[in-house]
Amino acid sequence: MIGQVLGHCRVQAKIGEGGMGVVYRAYDEVLQRDVAVKVVKKDARLGSSGSQDLLQEARASSSLSHPNICTIHDVGETEGELYIVMELVEGKSLHEMSRDAGLPPETVIRCGVQIAGALVRAHDRGIIHRDLKTSNIVVTSGGLVKVLDFGLAKQVGVSERDASFEGPTRTLETMQTSSTFSGTLAYMPPEVLRGETADYRSDLWALGVVLYEAASGRRPFEGRTGFELSSAIMREMPKPLGHPVPPGLWAIIQRCLSKEPAQRYQRAGEVLAALEAIQGAAVFAAAPSAERSEPQTMAHHSVRHARVRRGDFLLLVGTTKGAFILRSNVNRSRWEVGGPYFHGQAVYALAYDNRADQHRIWASTASFWGTMLRSSDDFGRVWTNPQEAAIRFPADTGLSLKNIWQISLGRADEPNTLYCGVEPAALFDTHDDGETWSLVRGLFDHPHRPRWVPGNGGLALHTIVLDPADRQRMYVAISAGGVYRTNDGGNTWSAQNRGIRAMFLPMKYPEFGQCVHKIAMHPARPQRLFLQNHWGIYRSDDSSENWKDVANGVPSDFGFAMVMHPRNPDCVYIVPVESDQFRCSCDGRLRVFRTRNSGVSWEPLARGLPQKQAYETVLRDAMTVDSLDPAGIYFGTRSGQLFSSRDEGKTWNKILEGLPAIVCLRSALIEDGFGHSIATPRQAPQPPPSSRSKSRTASQSRRQSHQKKR
Amino acid sequence: MPVTFLIPGPLREFTAGRSAVTIEQSPATLAEALSALWKLYPGLCDRIVTEQGQMREHINIFIGDEDVRYTGGLTSRVAAGSDISIVPAISGG
Repeated sequence: MIGQVLGHCRVQAKIGEGGMGVVYRAYDEVLQRDVAVKVVKKDARLGSSGSQDLLQEARASSSLSHPNICTIHDVGETEGELYIVMELVEGKSLHEMSRDAGLPPETVIRCGVQIAGALVRAHDRGIIHRDLKTSNIVVTSGGLVKVLDFGLAKQVGVSERDASFEGPTRTLETMQTSSTFSGTLAYMPPEVLRGETADYRSDLWALGVVLYEAASGRRPFEGRTGFELSSAIMREMPKPLGHPVPPGLWAIIQRCLSKEPAQRYQRAGEVLAALEAIQGAAVFAAAPSAERSEPQTMAHHSVRHARVRRGDFLLLVGTTKGAFILRSNVNRSRWEVGGPYFHGQAVYALAYDNRADQHRIWASTASFWGTMLRSSDDFGRVWTNPQEAAIRFPADTGLSLKNIWQISLGRADEPNTLYCGVEPAALFDTHDDGETWSLVRGLFDHPHRPRWVPGNGGLALHTIVLDPADRQRMYVAISAGGVYRTNDGGNTWSAQNRGIRAMFLPMKYPEFGQCVHKIAMHPARPQRLFLQNHWGIYRSDDSSENWKDVANGVPSDFGFAMVMHPRNPDCVYIVPVESDQFRCSCDGRLRVFRTRNSGVSWEPLARGLPQKQAYETVLRDAMTVDSLDPAGIYFGTRSGQLFSSRDEGKTWNKILEGLPAIVCLRSALIEDGFGHSIATPRQAPQPPPSSRSKSRTASQSRRQSHQKKR
Repeated sequence: MPVTFLIPGPLREFTAGRSAVTIEQSPATLAEALSALWKLYPGLCDRIVTEQGQMREHINIFIGDEDVRYTGGLTSRVAAGSDISIVPAISGG
């Protein structure tokens, strides 16, 4: 089979075998991605009509698109070989993960939420899994749960009446241990053992078994023979789960394991809601006094998730105490709030990356416990939490990472490239989708670096701007070091601050040392840049060789945030603050200023914004635009208020107040994958990414490396 | 004689939920004890020390009741049977 082509997939290596057939790693030569191909065994149980039924069932299951369901891409038959092409999922089965002593309750709940979510989607489409079990559930190293083999058991497996000792989709593991009792029977509900037809509630029973097993490392019903096991399932009550399983989780498991289907949850959505409720109120049982007798405190974490669908519009909000994901549609008028994520941790950088078949949100988190780069592929339900910090200063530098100020995507045709600007001021890059990050030595070794000085926020490289026309050219902004540019892909850098004042130095126009707060570029006119300085608003028309003050008519030329209109390269938005000493909106009036003539003049935009006693500060990354028409403009304040304009700044509305200090804001329009979505997560708008061919497996391998142990 | 690390709530994600982790070896210093801890639970390392191996600024470690900042930091001697507490500092806003 190795080397053969099934459909347009070339088989590369065997990766598993089960009751249904053999699973191979393969490469889809048309769509250029890694896939898994399951070649179905020619089995007596599968006659010709069975083949057709299986194909039909697999086709039905292929309609299931959900982050927690292993996607079936294709089914086919070649020379009598029935095969199913599916997403290649790399990770550990829940069975492997939990078989020693079970998993911590938080992990069980987190997995349970995802499995229940998968069932909700499948049941909505009329598809019953019929073979849900811990060995059919794979958890990637990033914590993402994937349920395999939806709906296939019905056609391939024995009929429910047969109640085979071994399950229909035996894994290698169950085959190897077939002398002991394992397999699908352990997950079968009493009604199926009685010969009744499986329905949605049969999957919910199996979910109960899965959760019990995940929480304790053992199954709720056991027996040395099939008869004993069947008997236990029919008649016995599972042994109660005590500490550390919280009572709420135990109650959910018990209800799933009600002998009578009518006594169970009736819909997967009910289990999902119950699990989310205890996840939201994640108050876990205190350790028993036998373990430690110190006084206990109680933490109540309440996390809500926005239910993001295709076509939705998102605002990603980073604050000093966590992140939020706000969901709306293209009307951008009503908002559902997800979060807070990363309780108590400062999130200074966020980015939405849709450059492959994915919707990935990147976030930096900073706390007492260090600074981490994290990501989620399901809009915040599951975040990576790497064992080892991905971004770290090499030993010879003697430096330690304090904060990640900017996460910047590489160019559209470099989907594996990302950049991070960090504190202490340095640039890191990855060209393998985050698997490995490197310090950009060309900048780090610049002779100016020892003479850069920290601003109020520390010595930070906070802005990264790529030149879309010249792939060797990029700009960074450092507080306080100034603007630096490379024309050779990062090997060498030059200070680009001619004409920019440094009011806090005796020499007002030094070569470097300026405290630049933000730079912005429109991709349609990359030789022109705008700059908000620590005093001064500037424009360069020659790729930063010279800067000219364009603070014409603004109430103050001090400020932080600066964003470009998504389509008009002459249009820039800023929010001035009164002064270095008093970093609040001028005269207690919160006003955005806009130029539509590249800084020749600026106009105030205040309709809908507070104009009395509004002493607000908008920090450097707390402003963003979207790509819609008319463009939306958004900003957040240090006082936790979030404002938006859906008409390019003419009128404003308050979306939310009472958030922690807002330090980062990004927008994203969620369209389907494959790179033709629209997103504006960066400081300067970028041209829409072109289609690309990066496979999901690349990102999965990156996630594994995130979890890589030192 | 083994020593026992007491793990604060935010880090139990990296110790499979365990609030106490016992090191069976007999480490002579805190650095040796931590090194053994990293081997068991690698995710703890970057949370407690920087990439340069220094204790994070706002993390305190106590051997028994003694704050190791006053007893030699990572070179502090660890008495057999000690409890070693990892505690976030009471700073912040």
